[in-house]
Amino acid sequence: MRLFALFSLLLLLLAAPAAADIEIRAPGQQTIPLASTKLLAQGMVPAQIVNDFDQTLNDDLLLSGLFSLVAPNSFLSDARKIGLNSSQVDFGQWRLLGAEGVVKGVCRLQNGKLVVEARLFDVTHRRLLTGRRYIGAQSDVRRMAHRFADQILKSLTGEEGPFNSRIAYIGNSSGHKELYLMDVDGRNGVRLTNHRAIVLNPDFSPTGKELLFTSYRAGNPDLYRKEIYSGREARVSARQGLNIAGRFRPDGREIALTLSKDGNSDLHLLGTDGSHHRQLTKHWSIDVDPSWSPAGDKLAFVSDRQGNPQIFILDILSQQVKRLPTAGKYNATPAWSPKGDRIAFSRLEQGRFDIYTVAPDGSDERRLTFGPGNNEHPRWSPDGRFIVYSSSQSGPKAIYIMRADGSGVTRISPAGGDCSHPAWSGRW
Amino acid sequence: MKSFSKKAMLQCVLLLAATILLAAGCAKKPAATTTAVPDTTVSQDMGQDMLQTEGLDEMALGESAIDESAAGYGVATTAVPALQRINFEFDQYTLSAAAQELLVSNAAYMAANPEQRIRIEGYCDERGSDEYNLALGQRRALAAKNFLVSLGIDPLFLSVISYGEELPLDHSGSEEAYALNRRAEFKAER
Repeated sequence: MRLFALFSLLLLLLAAPAAADIEIRAPGQQTIPLASTKLLAQGMVPAQIVNDFDQTLNDDLLLSGLFSLVAPNSFLSDARKIGLNSSQVDFGQWRLLGAEGVVKGVCRLQNGKLVVEARLFDVTHRRLLTGRRYIGAQSDVRRMAHRFADQILKSLTGEEGPFNSRIAYIGNSSGHKELYLMDVDGRNGVRLTNHRAIVLNPDFSPTGKELLFTSYRAGNPDLYRKEIYSGREARVSARQGLNIAGRFRPDGREIALTLSKDGNSDLHLLGTDGSHHRQLTKHWSIDVDPSWSPAGDKLAFVSDRQGNPQIFILDILSQQVKRLPTAGKYNATPAWSPKGDRIAFSRLEQGRFDIYTVAPDGSDERRLTFGPGNNEHPRWSPDGRFIVYSSSQSGPKAIYIMRADGSGVTRISPAGGDCSHPAWSGRW
Repeated sequence: MKSFSKKAMLQCVLLLAATILLAAGCAKKPAATTTAVPDTTVSQDMGQDMLQTEGLDEMALGESAIDESAAGYGVATTAVPALQRINFEFDQYTLSAAAQELLVSNAAYMAANPEQRIRIEGYCDERGSDEYNLALGQRRALAAKNFLVSLGIDPLFLSVISYGEELPLDHSGSEEAYALNRRAEFKAER
């Protein structure tokens, strides 16, 4: 993963001057007309594979808010012609349709493996912008599409998309609140725990493949960690009272959480093995819901030390606590953006929660949701382009995604049961 | 100027390449190879991901192998009719006069059954932040415990737990339901 990140950086540096021709601004302002053609099968390939790739890729591209898709029924003959390099693409046809970019690809089955080759061409300059070959199981087709969507975003904006990542959440369709995991578009959902108790409030480790959560499995709200692929699970903190809202420090080496072992709810810092490193807040108030700044030097958290629940910022080194100056009488669940420039939170007003973002100095507050129902538990995508949250806007609580400006609201969790407390992984 | 920028670029690439080699040396598993070569030869191996998919399958199996015995949660308790629950105001954990009266009555039962361990459970209504409500439920249970101790009940026989807003008595979402759900309950431990 680290290698991949470095490679991305290298490619980014080399590709930077070339990527500037198609101009991308903020999502929604001006979209790029893009023609996304279906993969052309080389030999026998189930139509479902072609359709799954097409649908997944197009959903991601639309969700990004950066593109408008040229209607497929207006495509001319070039859409059915294999175009491996720029000299084989009839750019005139695509220019005629107003497309500035065209996605072309082929797929084939080779020794039981699915091979997908996809390319993005710049219609105006008649050249290849990016290309990728994916080899994997047939069931990996949607993941290939997510990765290519990320790649398209990277080649046009310089920053990879967030689509090849996962969202963890709490669902109760089994009759108990358990931990679940799904793709960013809500597909490939899987239940991770079978505690048959109450499982709460997950958080991904910075490396992505591990989750922290609280569970009443042993009769007390204890903190657990679970490796996603091995299924291995361990109880990290089972101190008397609350062991809740565990959050990995961005370096992955420590965990901030709320303990009430001494009676009052305060923030503490634990090692990942559960050893007690130090107490972070010591105040008669309730201190909960920590969220790390990306540098790991500050924590936003919720405290009622001034009466009502409000968001405060703790400087880890100096141990100074400052109020995040926001309006409203009840502000909770802060989430620091991955770039550090915004803090998302939910505000209770007139009996309902809505989601807001604000700069860490309290300036430039923006309201993102306007009901109906409760909109809460905001968490950022790894690239900061999106916010995932839970909403009861259409009845039972479900998981939704929106862009960081509040546009593009899309429900992603499957129907059935309440779904809440989403957490967005890093890039997978 | 041109030669300088070229040199800088070269240094940059060399530095990156060195870092990559270092990182590759440390990596436990072979990472997916990603190369972007213009036009015909593009390649991104999904090898690592395939492994991961198999991992997912393994996990699903492991999941069903997790014990089937973890039924219910918490210490086994029984509701005792003599132990009455008390209610709280929104976002409050102070004991009203009515709550204090009920606690005096509960204390009488506890004094008459001195060997009985009692668990005090704090609850909130469904409004408010879940995490905050877990802490608030803890406070409500603690407030009740402290009052009982002030009445002479041995704290060694009292334990507290918070369920926050997780287990409301009334799901209807009305003001009456919320008022009912903001409570502390007293259970005899078995």
